[in-house]
Amino acid sequence: MSVLISKEKKVKNKEFHPNILCFCCNWCSYAGADLAGVSRFQYPSTIRIVRVMCSGRVDPSFILEAFKDGIDGVIVTGCHIGDCHYLKGNEFARDRFERFQKTLKLFNLDKRFRLEWVSASEGKRFAEIITEFTNQIKELGPLRLI
Amino acid sequence: MNFIVEIERSKKAKLEADEFNSYLRKIYEPDLTSLLKKCYQCARCSGVCQISKVQKFTPSRIIQMILEGFEDEIIDSQVLWDCLMCNSCLQHCPKDINFADIVRIARYKMRLKDIQNLDRSIAHKGIYPLMSELMIQKNIKIERPLDWIPKDCKISEQGNILYYVGCLPFFNYEFQDSNSIAESTLKIICQLEKDPVVILKDEICCGHDLYWGQAKFEVFIELAKKNISIFEKAGITSIITACAECYRTFKIDYLNLFEDFNKKFEVKHIIEYIFDKWKQGKVQFKNPNESNDVIPFTYHDPCRLSRFLPKDNKIIEEVREIFKHLKTIGYDFKEMEHNKENSYCCGVNSWMNCNEKSKALRYKRLLEAKAVGTKMITSCPKCRMHLKCLKKDYEDFSSIEILDFSEFLVDLIKIIEPNQTVEEK
Ligand code: SF4
Ligand code: SF4
Ligand code: SF4
Ligand code: FES
Repeated sequence: MSVLISKEKKVKNKEFHPNILCFCCNWCSYAGADLAGVSRFQYPSTIRIVRVMCSGRVDPSFILEAFKDGIDGVIVTGCHIGDCHYLKGNEFARDRFERFQKTLKLFNLDKRFRLEWVSASEGKRFAEIITEFTNQIKELGPLRLI
Repeated sequence: MNFIVEIERSKKAKLEADEFNSYLRKIYEPDLTSLLKKCYQCARCSGVCQISKVQKFTPSRIIQMILEGFEDEIIDSQVLWDCLMCNSCLQHCPKDINFADIVRIARYKMRLKDIQNLDRSIAHKGIYPLMSELMIQKNIKIERPLDWIPKDCKISEQGNILYYVGCLPFFNYEFQDSNSIAESTLKIICQLEKDPVVILKDEICCGHDLYWGQAKFEVFIELAKKNISIFEKAGITSIITACAECYRTFKIDYLNLFEDFNKKFEVKHIIEYIFDKWKQGKVQFKNPNESNDVIPFTYHDPCRLSRFLPKDNKIIEEVREIFKHLKTIGYDFKEMEHNKENSYCCGVNSWMNCNEKSKALRYKRLLEAKAVGTKMITSCPKCRMHLKCLKKDYEDFSSIEILDFSEFLVDLIKIIEPNQTVEEK
């Protein structure tokens, strides 16, 4: 019995570690994330990176699906406007997610999603963004959809 | 202690599963052969099948194969995802074989088998069915914006009459003009009702698409239960909707699940609603423009209002009576070549089958419309979206204006004040 209780206590005290999904475009942001790792900038181990060829590849349905499958926050990163490897992919992404933000608001999920531009040389910025976003999600608490 | 908690939890889970199965039994009949055995292979269904006009698809052959014991092969081949669920086959079947309903059941079976992940091939990458799925989650709080509501409309959260908006605000992300349907409908209802109309901030999807298109019956049942509890909490007794799919779902599919649904709530489509008020002498039609031009217009019957309702439902006649009357104010109603129960399908049902083949169907439909009028009215928001989507691609259709029923009538309707009718009498 005592074993069980101590286990229960542990669960109660356990800090909330959000599950965060991060879409990185292959040409800038993924390299940025890589740089953050190589240069040993500290950032929370809560994120799972999915590499896509361009931020324009990310469809809003991916984000809803991620939430449905138990993710607490989603962040999409791409090259800075004008730097996209495919010229306009990130502009499409920007316009699309601007509209999609309103839909997320209907579900009260708008604070759990973010779109950011990170270039290949901005390893530090990548780490900062992830830290900040993780803190934001921690404040919001778990979503608990599964 | 923990052990007891554990037992309680498993008991609860079992109860939930039992409840779900009792509902599922009402809408899911796994024995397809028993549903089909009356078929005598006259092949009329294959003759009228809408999708067979543009691709190879023969319902009668599929039925025959199932009857001969090749059901597993049919399920494995995934061919039934191609059916448009337009119900034309039922209209012409001498033995009343409801093929679309069988496809619905077969789709559930295909899903259980889990051969191919279909969700990726739904139109718009399946985002709209996904939204409906999110709505049953306990931790998601839906908060609809109310900024589209016309200024002089009185609305409330509690009351008798509900305007069920449906998924329009959710479509807004890609179809920016969808709010105008809701706006015009509410404008009409507000003028006719003395009490404030109920608009629910936390309204959820009726589940039509998940029921017919993606065969996610679990979610459909949850949505139905949640909807009913929301309605009851707000004290609703009658529901008005401007969406053909919501109408059919409430009228028939919810009734299959909950026998007392139509005793608790009276469901009306906006066409019925306006027709009744018109017959009661509460509305008139007036043309705001003084010009003498006659505007020819036509009406596209959504399948949910023409082929998916019981035979005693009069909506398709009622809407035509209104339209014929409009001749007096300079709107000339013309029928398209295929109309009423025979009308062509818009080709995309429940966000399924949006491809170049169903696009051909839409193209044909717009050609028919172009031949007879400059305005094309429909009473299903999704028909309007899909047809408009095609119109964008072809310049030769730029002369046609595609409108929803309420968008069309909102400027033409004139309300007679209650006291005014008394005076006249
Ligand atoms: S029309 Fe009816 S009876 Fe004839 S083949 Fe089709 S399902 Fe069978
Ligand atoms: S529902 Fe429509 S598409 Fe499907 S088999 Fe019947 S007629 Fe053909
Ligand atoms: S027809 Fe157009 S609006 Fe309809 S599902 Fe296809 S792409 Fe979307
Ligand atoms: S390649 Fe980086 S955003 Fe397009």
